[in-house]
Amino acid sequence: MGAELPEEARVNSVKNRKVLVVEDSRLIHKMYEVMLRPTTLLSAFNGHEGLDKLGQSPDVDLIILDINMPKMTGLVEFLERVKTTPAMAKIPVIIVSTEGKEEEVARGLQSGAVAYLRKPFQPEDLLKIINRIESKQTAA
Amino acid sequence: MSDATHMTDPPPVADAPASGDAPVRAERDAMATLRRAQQLVSDAQAAIEEASRVVGQGGGAGPAGGAEARLAVAENERQELAGRLAEVEHQVGRLMTLYVATYQLHATLDPAEVQSTIAEIALNLIGAEQFVLLLIDDEDNGYEVRIMQGEADARWEQTERYTGGDPLVDAALADGGLRFGPTEESPALAVVPLRVQDLTVGALVILKLLDRKPAFVKEDHDLLDLLGAHAASAIFASRAYAKTARKLRTLENLIRLVNKG
Repeated sequence: MGAELPEEARVNSVKNRKVLVVEDSRLIHKMYEVMLRPTTLLSAFNGHEGLDKLGQSPDVDLIILDINMPKMTGLVEFLERVKTTPAMAKIPVIIVSTEGKEEEVARGLQSGAVAYLRKPFQPEDLLKIINRIESKQTAA
Repeated sequence: MSDATHMTDPPPVADAPASGDAPVRAERDAMATLRRAQQLVSDAQAAIEEASRVVGQGGGAGPAGGAEARLAVAENERQELAGRLAEVEHQVGRLMTLYVATYQLHATLDPAEVQSTIAEIALNLIGAEQFVLLLIDDEDNGYEVRIMQGEADARWEQTERYTGGDPLVDAALADGGLRFGPTEESPALAVVPLRVQDLTVGALVILKLLDRKPAFVKEDHDLLDLLGAHAASAIFASRAYAKTARKLRTLENLIRLVNKG
C-alpha cells in the first residue's frame, strides 16, 4: 500500500486529556507544552512532585516520565507507587530516556510502563506513541 | 419480456373496422411493435453511453475495468497526499523545536540559566554526549570553560580557561564562522561561535554525539545556527542585566552609607 497514512487525528486524540509530565528540564517541559497543545499538562520536576500531582489529580490520562529524575531513588519506585495505587494503576506511562539507560528502560517496562522514547526525539515520534496507546485503549 | 407480451396482446385500436380486415390490423400491430423496438434500442444506446461516462474511460475493459482504473488513480492520490502530510508534519515538528529552543533561551535574564539552557539544547535536542561551552571573560577577553559535559577529550580536562591550540576552535572564535570537524588537528565535531554584534561571546564545542547518532542531521544544522545567534544575544543580555543589577545594588548601598553618615 506504500506510504502509511499519517495519523492525522493524533493531535485530537490528546486534545481533551490530562497529561502528567515528570521531567527535570524546563526546555523539555516547554517542548511538551507546545507539542501537546491544547492538552492540559501537569508539570512536575521530580518524582516526589509527580506523586503529589497524581495525588491531587488522579484522573490523569497519561504520564510521561523522564528516567533521570532527581529527588527519587529511581524510576522503579515511582512506577511501583503508580502501579500499586488502584486509582492510578491503569494510567499508561511512557518512559523517556537518554542513551545508555537501557537497563533502566527494561526495568521500567517490566514495572508497567507501556512505551519508551529516547532523547533526542522528534515531536511526531511522541505523538505516534500516544496515538498507538489511544488506539489500543479504544480497541480494548 | 413486456415487449413479447405487448406483441402477442396488442392494445385495442379504437378506429379499427368492426370486421373482416385482419391483415390491416396485423400490419398496424407490426408497425407499433417496430416503433416500440426502435424506442428500446435508442434507450439502450443512451444507457450504454451513460454507463461509459460514469465508469470513466474504460475502453474495451467494460464498467468493472473502468472502476478499477479510477480506484488505482484514487489510491495513488491518497499515497501522494499521505506523503505530503507526513512531510508537512515533520516540518511543523522542526519549527516547533526551533521555537521552543528560542523561547527558552530568552525566557530568563539569569546568566546561569541561559548557560544551562544551552547545555539542555545540546544534550536533549541535538544529542551531543560530550561538549564544552566557552564564554568570554569580560575582564581580559579570554575564554573560560563554563560547562563541560561528558568525558571530554584529555586536552579539555582540568582546563578552566581556553588558551588556544585547537585550530577549529581558534578559527571559529576568530572569524565567528561555524566549523565542522573532526580534522587531523581537532577532535571537535562542530564549533558553534556565539556571536552578537560582531562580538564572539563564546563557543559551543561539540566533541561527541550519542552512539546511536552517527552524524548531524538537517535539523541539527538549524539548531546550531539558532544557537549561534540566539544563545549569544541571550548571554549578552543576561550578563548586561546582571552587571546593571550589581551596579544598582552597589549604588544603593553607597547611598545608604552616605545617608547614615
